[in-house]
Amino acid sequence: MNILPLFDLIFVMRNTNRDFSLIRPDRRVVPSGRLWNPPADVYRVSEGWVVKVDLAGVCTDELEIELRESILTIRGCRKDTHYREGCVYHQMEITYSRFEKSIQFPAPVEGASIRRDYRDGFLIIDVRREQD
Amino acid sequence: MPESSQNTPPPGGTPPTEQPSLPADFTFATQTPGQKFEIAVLALQNLTLFPETVIPLGVGRPRSIAAVEAALATPEKLLGCITVRPDRSDDTDAKPADLYEVGTLVMIKRMERSGDGMRIIVQGTERIRVVEWKQEDPLLRATVEILPEPRIVDAEQVEAAKRNLQQMIQEAMTMLPNIPPEVRIAVLGSVEAVRLCYFLASVLNLGVEEEQKMLEANTADELVRLSHTSLARELEILQLRSKIASEAQTEMDKAQRDYVLRQQMRAIQKELGEDETGEAAETELLRERLEKAELPQEVRDEADRELRRLQRLPPAAPDYHVIRTYLEFILELPWLKSSEDKLELAEARRILDEDHYGLEDVKERILEFLAVIKLRPDTKSPILLFVGPPGVGKTSLGRSIARALGRQFERMSLGGVRDEAELRGHRRTYIGAMPGRIVQAIRRAGVNNPVLMLDEVDKLGNDYRGDPAAALLEILDPQQNNTFRDHYLDLPFDLSKVFFIATANQLGPIPAPLRDRMEIISLAGYSDREKLEIAKRYLIPRQTTENGLNNAQLKIADDAVELIAARYTREAGVRQMERNIGSIARKVALKIAQAEAESVTVTAADVREYLGPPRFYPEQARKELPAGVATGMAWTEMGGEVLFIEATLLPGGHGLTITGQLGEVMQESARAAQSYLWSHAAEFGIEPEIFKGFGVHLHVPAGAIPKDGPSAGVTITSALASLYTGRRVRPDTAMTGEITLSGLVFPIGGVKEKVLAAHRAGIKRIILPSRNEADVDDIPEDVRNDLQLVFVSGISEVLDAALEVLVANPPPIIADAARGGGGRQPEPEPLTVKG
Repeated sequence: MNILPLFDLIFVMRNTNRDFSLIRPDRRVVPSGRLWNPPADVYRVSEGWVVKVDLAGVCTDELEIELRESILTIRGCRKDTHYREGCVYHQMEITYSRFEKSIQFPAPVEGASIRRDYRDGFLIIDVRREQD
Repeated sequence: MPESSQNTPPPGGTPPTEQPSLPADFTFATQTPGQKFEIAVLALQNLTLFPETVIPLGVGRPRSIAAVEAALATPEKLLGCITVRPDRSDDTDAKPADLYEVGTLVMIKRMERSGDGMRIIVQGTERIRVVEWKQEDPLLRATVEILPEPRIVDAEQVEAAKRNLQQMIQEAMTMLPNIPPEVRIAVLGSVEAVRLCYFLASVLNLGVEEEQKMLEANTADELVRLSHTSLARELEILQLRSKIASEAQTEMDKAQRDYVLRQQMRAIQKELGEDETGEAAETELLRERLEKAELPQEVRDEADRELRRLQRLPPAAPDYHVIRTYLEFILELPWLKSSEDKLELAEARRILDEDHYGLEDVKERILEFLAVIKLRPDTKSPILLFVGPPGVGKTSLGRSIARALGRQFERMSLGGVRDEAELRGHRRTYIGAMPGRIVQAIRRAGVNNPVLMLDEVDKLGNDYRGDPAAALLEILDPQQNNTFRDHYLDLPFDLSKVFFIATANQLGPIPAPLRDRMEIISLAGYSDREKLEIAKRYLIPRQTTENGLNNAQLKIADDAVELIAARYTREAGVRQMERNIGSIARKVALKIAQAEAESVTVTAADVREYLGPPRFYPEQARKELPAGVATGMAWTEMGGEVLFIEATLLPGGHGLTITGQLGEVMQESARAAQSYLWSHAAEFGIEPEIFKGFGVHLHVPAGAIPKDGPSAGVTITSALASLYTGRRVRPDTAMTGEITLSGLVFPIGGVKEKVLAAHRAGIKRIILPSRNEADVDDIPEDVRNDLQLVFVSGISEVLDAALEVLVANPPPIIADAARGGGGRQPEPEPLTVKG
């Protein structure tokens, strides 16, 4: 259960040149966003789009879902609710705290209707074009 | 109808939690600038975290672990990270005052325990500022305030600065190979200036203070400016380093290239079967030998210099072998190596006697020298010149001297040497340059004090290439030869310890300055008696052994030896005699091998059988001499000889006709003799008319041999006087001496040879100039006792001693002339008178 190989993979700058001071060899820094983003699948369906986000353990009511132009943004916060007095973490691999997921569609979807569903730990969002 | 989209509240629209202290289960959906809450704080050593970066951290200190655990106990796993100010030196836990005020709020994404500590991966989310410290132990807690994202004041300037930054990064990346493409994309594809700057700040090695400044920057303008400055500086350093590195690389490349080529060459040499240790080992070997060799400092310096040159040269260079040969020659020369002299006088005497019979004065000279060395070891060696006919043992005497002294012997022949460079060498600039013969001989000898024999110095040639005799002047001068400089060596070599012995057959051709440098010792040749002794002691035993016989098988009687010496050889030395003895020995060996005899004794009667008829009939004293003939003595290279001077009157002729290949000096002395007699005619009872009326023919046999020199003066005078007076010259008398017109007799050279020759020819009386009386000591005792020596200082004494008193048969011509002309008749016609 070693988590470090991930970083070895991503950033090996320190191996570039031993005699090089520009890059700090002791830091394996990875650029990231301000918040974490959960993985998501996007389906195209005849009515529009279906977005499935791997987002277990969140309260759907606390989610913010925003549709602007061609971008769908999901924001929220996953909180650790199992933690209680007298228990000590031995290992942590689930990311908590605030997240933000933005999905860009190839066409503008502003004004489309959004329906959310939460099933088996997945957040499912239906994006349907307005029907006249 | 699906749920309508929810409009996001504008930032800051969400009401901040009013509660200043955040309980563990407190949750907030957004973190907005200005929001304050209490949080566990991790003090970072030497590291600043920036928002929007993910970084792994190791956590080891108990207080830090407590802070992380406190953060993990919250539902959102948030932790404040604040850097410790860099001026702290001790390793204790930092106090709140030691920490900066601005830090980063991070979310802990992962945690793993490892031993006592833990490893976490955190993601920076917001900048925070400490409002108030709440707790120090067991963990740091503080109320913090979320700081807003740096604002963009001048968007265009920020955008311009961002692009500039990206260009610089690109430049930096060209100098940094192996940067993963994702980093490249992350950096260059970054749209936001702030994000780019934060990433740069966390990646670059800027130092805590600089990093903190960037973290605290409240505007994007300031942030890009700081990043720009830092990156520009780093880039410059990078360029410089890269330049240095590439220069070092070039240096190394060249060295490496040389190395690789050398390795290849070695491999090729190995394939070719050449010595794989090669030239490096060779120069190394030379160095070792040089270190071990005993050399004067000057020589060592020069040799070291040449060795260094050699090491720099590839073995294929033409100079390589020149230098190597030179160094080897230097190593082989005995610069400081001398042999010890044997200083036993008695032993030396014994060795000299063993090798040579007679030659008393030479032996004496050697013993004297030994005695001097014994008393004063640093004495200079003498330079001797042995002059004498061939075969008298000059060379073997040199060898014997070396043996007596216990020195090495080296011999070199100078006969025909006509180039000064042969003696002194060629300078090394010439191809095929070699050291001179002198230095080579020293090298062969292996010591710097050998007996060095220079054979045949009288036969040195000279031409446009230089005069080798002139080079010898330096070599043979004890004052100069301690720094003899061979052209090849170009280093001074001390020749002063060398015992030089030169040999020559004649003194004449040796230039006077050269002659002057040497002590002349004359080896005149042996008398018959000496030859007999030499034959008995050395030649017969030697030839007996050489031909495989023993003493019992071959005996040669004394009379046989004497016969060989007299009739089968004509020489001053003993070389021909040895050859004749050798042929007798061979023939005896044949007889014994064919079992015709067991032992052979050769007597005088048998000699003819072995050697054939006698080859020489030496000039013997004539039993009777007619008037006008006198016995003279001559010196030749082969020793001495007797010769007869014959004169005859030519009636009606006039003047003096001289034949017999006489040289100018001899012709002149003939004229002087005639003039003297003419002018003193009355004194000697000569009719003056005889000079006018008769011509004189003077002849000296043998006619084919050229003769010259003044020493026949007295003989010619005697012959003429005898002719004119009719008184015969005594046949048992031989004479020599130079005459002057005033009638004096001057000394001549070669007395010993001449006397020996006369003795051999059976002469009993010898007339010598009185000033040669001293030379008589050279004549062996036995010979001297056999002879009657008459010393004269004037011509009248010569004639008194030489001419018979009685006129037995006056020459008829003179008698007739006297009768017919009354002693006054001018120019009588001889034939008519005779009639």
